[in-house]
Amino acid sequence: MAGREIRERLRGRLFRVVTLILFAVVAAAVVIPTIHTGTTTHQNVGVVAGPPALDAELQKLATAVGLRVELVREPDLSAARASLSTGDLDMVVDGGGSILVQNPISDTDTSTGARYVRAVATALGAQQAFAQAGLTPEQAAAVAEVKPWPVESVHPGKTARTTEEATALLGVILTFIVLTQYLTWTLMGVMEEKASRVVEVLLATVRPGQLLAGKVAGIGAVALVQAVALVAFALVLAKVVGSTLVHGAAPIVVAATLVWLVLGYAFYSWVYAAAGSMAERQDQVQSLALPLSAPLIFGYIVSLIGVSSGSASLLVKVLAYLPPTAPFAMPTLVGFGEATWWQFLLSVVVSMVCTVLVARMAARVYRTAVLRTGRRVRLRELVPTLAK
Amino acid sequence: MAGLLEFDGLSRRFGTVTALDDLSFSVPSGQVVGFLGPNGAGKTTTMRAVFGLTDLDAGSVRWNGEPVGATQRRRFGYMPEERGLYPNMLVAEEVEYLARLHGMDTGSAATATKQWLERLDVADRATSKVETLSHGNQQRVQLAAALVHDPEVLVLDEPLAGLDPTGIDAIGEVLVEQARAGRCVLFSSHQLDLVEDLCESVAIIDRGRLVARGAVDELATSGARRLDVRVEGDRQGVWAQGIPGVAVSEVDGGEVRLVLDESTDSDVVLEAARAAGRVTEFVFGRRRLSEVFREAVGRLRRSRSSSPPSRWCCSSASACAAEVGGDRHGSVDSQADFAAEGSWETPDLWLGARSGSGCGAACFE
Repeated sequence: MAGREIRERLRGRLFRVVTLILFAVVAAAVVIPTIHTGTTTHQNVGVVAGPPALDAELQKLATAVGLRVELVREPDLSAARASLSTGDLDMVVDGGGSILVQNPISDTDTSTGARYVRAVATALGAQQAFAQAGLTPEQAAAVAEVKPWPVESVHPGKTARTTEEATALLGVILTFIVLTQYLTWTLMGVMEEKASRVVEVLLATVRPGQLLAGKVAGIGAVALVQAVALVAFALVLAKVVGSTLVHGAAPIVVAATLVWLVLGYAFYSWVYAAAGSMAERQDQVQSLALPLSAPLIFGYIVSLIGVSSGSASLLVKVLAYLPPTAPFAMPTLVGFGEATWWQFLLSVVVSMVCTVLVARMAARVYRTAVLRTGRRVRLRELVPTLAK
Repeated sequence: MAGLLEFDGLSRRFGTVTALDDLSFSVPSGQVVGFLGPNGAGKTTTMRAVFGLTDLDAGSVRWNGEPVGATQRRRFGYMPEERGLYPNMLVAEEVEYLARLHGMDTGSAATATKQWLERLDVADRATSKVETLSHGNQQRVQLAAALVHDPEVLVLDEPLAGLDPTGIDAIGEVLVEQARAGRCVLFSSHQLDLVEDLCESVAIIDRGRLVARGAVDELATSGARRLDVRVEGDRQGVWAQGIPGVAVSEVDGGEVRLVLDESTDSDVVLEAARAAGRVTEFVFGRRRLSEVFREAVGRLRRSRSSSPPSRWCCSSASACAAEVGGDRHGSVDSQADFAAEGSWETPDLWLGARSGSGCGAACFE
């Protein structure tokens, strides 16, 4: 049964379209921030005159800002200027005491290229000043090794978004999109089986629990494979374009996101499947899906606000232990580095226990409702079933 | 191997509506058994009970003496009243999938699917989506899905509904062939003439109770005598009205079907006919299944509206017991018990007449 679900889902045009859109969204989420901050990784730098030590200095500065540079010796300044204007060179360092670039660089430009230009300008200017002051190269080098004093704040507040938070943000959005898509499929899949009456043929052979589990597992497997593919794609792309998303503890955030994607699907899929068994028409589905999606949207919005505000509110910390909202709130806490391993594990256990309970109730509802046709099954009609 | 599908004391209520009311009968293998009853009689509920698709308040369904469970059901084939197939799946894939659910391995499922699609003349649509097929062809695919795993028991709810004569012939042939091969075949239908052609025996239910069970031939020949008479100049059978012990059952194109009481002499009828005009036809006839059906259903309903019953008869209880085989209402003792509770029996069928709430809601039929 799970096999049929997987085959049919992968074959569907909707699946292909949605997958393409998701990959495009992830690509945009990874690439666009790097375009904004500038991710030049390689530059051709022309050098006019100057001692051989200049070349070594330029290479050293490039390594410091994370740039690879190729140094090209130019015969004179006019030739260098010509190469710069044609784009063959990105920058020219004139040993005589000036630097040429293609376009003006603003103070707010934090791209690698801009930072390199500033670093070169400052370093060479300083060296010149040291030489004019009569310092030996050794003295000049010692002076250049400036170690700023550490600055400490009395409040722990954060001033800039960390890499992990950015990853958590992307993870929360991805979890929401994937969960919404696959839960809707589960709901619709069950409803369609009921509407087409094929469920009666199936249940004449297999138990309701088996049929339900097959559907949940099949759609879940497709969801997991798609999510893993998306994450792998995001990681590889981030590496290629030099995004900061994959630095530091971000891989832990990625892993946490995937774990909660699975747990979130496992928890909600039963509820959505049970709801699907109560309807047999599109319009009936809408009135059922709305209340179900409320906790999902709530958890998503609160976590999103949390990530954007730069600190985990008390609400996010509470929601991280409630199975309906934990898929968003717990990865957010991990992103802030505010979840210890045992807190994470506790939330996972709570979610798994609740999932088992929800699955049992859902199977009862499903068994009773899926064979009742003609009109939407009301929740109060199912109370005796649930009370058994 | 001979098998027996038994329905034993099935009862089911939906709120205030009684769908099945202590229903008992059995279906032996090697026969095509027609399952008849008016709308809302409980046929679909009974068939669903075989597959555990409805919860029973009381009673059980047994196959060869064993209560029917998941293991037995894998060897059963079912065609529900409202057809059930995935509309988006390809025909062959769908039939194969259902075969696999019945425990067949991939290779056998594919072979059996191919054979059945060919046998039912839909092989050319094997790679089409089910939803693109005509109603008749979808019905054939549905039957293929019920047969593909070579079931011991076939339960088919209205398999002939909405089919053209070719489709009816094709499906009818398969049902008879399956019975000949020793399968147990129970199917419901409202097309009584077709049931008469296809079935060796029938079970008729009304308001959740069995009202007739027997071989088609026995039901047709037993009971009150029938006379088909044609009198020139009187196409409506006015001449027959008023003869004591004679009732006009049907008038069809000038032919008048009369039902004679046991004590009525047919010579009296002939004289009355002659007096009315030239008699061109005077034949003792068989009861048609439709008559058996109307009588069975009609008498039950009359008996319910006027209690206590006016007439008792137990002349052929043993014949009835033999036919229903193992059915507890088929034994003379239990029939006597039943009679004591307020029921009555005709020579060829017995009729339950417990007071109970009426049904008729379409929810379980």
